[in-house]
Amino acid sequence: MTGTKVNKSVADINDRIRRGDAVVVTAEEMVEIVRNKGEVGAAKEVDVVTTGTFGAMCSSGAWLNFGHSDPPIKIQRAWLNDVEAYTGVAAVDAYIGATKLSETRGFDYGGAHVIEDLVRGKEIEVRAIAYGTDCYPRKELKTILTKDDINQAVLCNPRNAYQRYDAATNSRDETIYTYMGTLLPNYGNVTYSGSGSLSPLHNDPNYETIGIGTRIFLGGAQGYIFWEGTQHAPAKAMGTIMTIGNLKEMDARYIRGATIEKYGTTLYVGLGIPIPVINERVAKTTGVSDEEIKTDLTDYGVPRRDRPILREVTYAELKSGKVEIRGKEVPVSPLSSLKQAREIANTLKHWIEDKRFFLSQPVEGLSTDQVFKPLKQVTAVPFVRDIMTREVVTAKPSDPIASTAKIFADRGFDHLPIVDARGRLVGIVTSWDIAVAVGTGKKKLSEVLTSKVITALENEPVDAVARRLEKHKISGVPVVNSCGELRGILTSQDLSKLLGRRGR
Amino acid sequence: MTRKVLLRYSTQKATEPILASVIKETDVLPNILYAEVSTKGGEILLAIDAPDKEVDKAIELFKQEGIEAQEIKRAIQLDRDLCFDCGACLSLCPIGALYITDDKSVELDDNKCIYCGLCVPSCPVRALKLSKFW
Ligand code: SF4
Ligand code: SF4
Repeated sequence: MTGTKVNKSVADINDRIRRGDAVVVTAEEMVEIVRNKGEVGAAKEVDVVTTGTFGAMCSSGAWLNFGHSDPPIKIQRAWLNDVEAYTGVAAVDAYIGATKLSETRGFDYGGAHVIEDLVRGKEIEVRAIAYGTDCYPRKELKTILTKDDINQAVLCNPRNAYQRYDAATNSRDETIYTYMGTLLPNYGNVTYSGSGSLSPLHNDPNYETIGIGTRIFLGGAQGYIFWEGTQHAPAKAMGTIMTIGNLKEMDARYIRGATIEKYGTTLYVGLGIPIPVINERVAKTTGVSDEEIKTDLTDYGVPRRDRPILREVTYAELKSGKVEIRGKEVPVSPLSSLKQAREIANTLKHWIEDKRFFLSQPVEGLSTDQVFKPLKQVTAVPFVRDIMTREVVTAKPSDPIASTAKIFADRGFDHLPIVDARGRLVGIVTSWDIAVAVGTGKKKLSEVLTSKVITALENEPVDAVARRLEKHKISGVPVVNSCGELRGILTSQDLSKLLGRRGR
Repeated sequence: MTRKVLLRYSTQKATEPILASVIKETDVLPNILYAEVSTKGGEILLAIDAPDKEVDKAIELFKQEGIEAQEIKRAIQLDRDLCFDCGACLSLCPIGALYITDDKSVELDDNKCIYCGLCVPSCPVRALKLSKFW
């Protein structure tokens, strides 16, 4: 890309940093500068724009090398504070992943917490087992280590710093617990992630300056981008990066183990990228404001890969703390810390001003047209309509209790769906309801039926319904179509038949 | 200023008439923030927005009736050393006791808190603690 009025090289900018006259501003400050002076004016004035983000980055972990014991062991499986690490590489290397849960403490402690404890210099209990070989005879190992005792501790994250991310809400009439946090029923709240105008990748979405070899702020130390991140999807403004840095030098202020309620553990990572303002094109992208960054407000109440999108929202709306959904003001939770994101951008700015941090010229660019492919599935996902029981005995609200009691007795049912004249499900009656009705002298089903019924849709994947049965501790659900008409019933028996087939 | 008073009583005590008589004898109009009854007795948390003297008098009257009355100074805590201002708790608070300041710090307005506890498990670093009253 050529034809720009301002042309600076990374080497020029580093010279200025060395001389102490580089102009460094944060991405938030740059918004105003570009607004006031225009892109060319801003490009002439500013040399570096610093960015920052501090959010849950599940795709994080660390490579550790323990050193050899005497007699030596070729570790087959290893646990750090009861969290299993991946050891399928050589003898004493292990990768501790952020989302792996402790075998003794469940959601309260995971790989992310092990990583934070390592950064804090705390002692970690290491247990390992092996099958034993002629060269590595040892079969068991138990020891206590800190980061100073091990050879390498390298934070190595396959996917960090999403350029932007969907905002989440929930259409269901129950609270759900997701990786986007706790989502209240009936669009009761909205959560989002990412730092908007401070977002590292959003400040250079064309990757003119960011690439393989870019030196960055990672967890309070200097780290690097070493590849595009997994699921990198620049075409949808959802680019990601792989990052690496020395865990031993990091600061626990920017590396925090965390638990997302009823979801699991994750690592909060502080990350900032300095963007050299090499020309006015880059000045323009670093001048991006929260009003200009849009993302999709998505319904996490639908547990499918392609979740329905309610509408587009800007980061300015999200950061205001209230978003409108269907005429109602809904409170918003950021899940990443804007305060820490700002702090990171400022810290990086000071490092550069103090000549402690120099910019690097990437050795290779990042892909700008990659798309994120869905999983190739070789077995078809079964839908409710494929396995439900279609012949269902039903009753009408006006039916007398007495005749219904007979149906229950004859057929040994537990539940009876109640439908109106047009075949729409209006409620359910259980054998217990009937027993009570007989005892209290009630006459008609309409007097005893439960109208709030948990249902399944014909076209839902079976796994979503299985999860619902488990969650509500029920043994079956009526199946309806989109008009609310009863189409069948799905029971735990139908599900176990399916599982039996899957097992084969 | 709103002060919060926790009443604790044994099952034998009928609290309703006592509450009513205390309201009559003082100028206070308490708001019930939380009430729990078990076989061992009950707990009621009141928020009283009245001059200090009146609140003190109300507490005295409850005590005279044989009800344990204790002022609650702090029952929900936000541990600043642990909190990293992620904001996950913000949208879960039903009455806006948790809020974000201009510099993007998350803060807690104790006066408003009704001790519902909804925010507590949502905190990824366990910075919110609802302390037991007794
Ligand atoms: S306990 Fe309830 S009212 Fe108090 S801060 Fe937490 S969510 Fe708000
Ligand atoms: S959820 Fe916890 S860490 Fe996040 S802002 Fe609230 S109190 Fe602080």
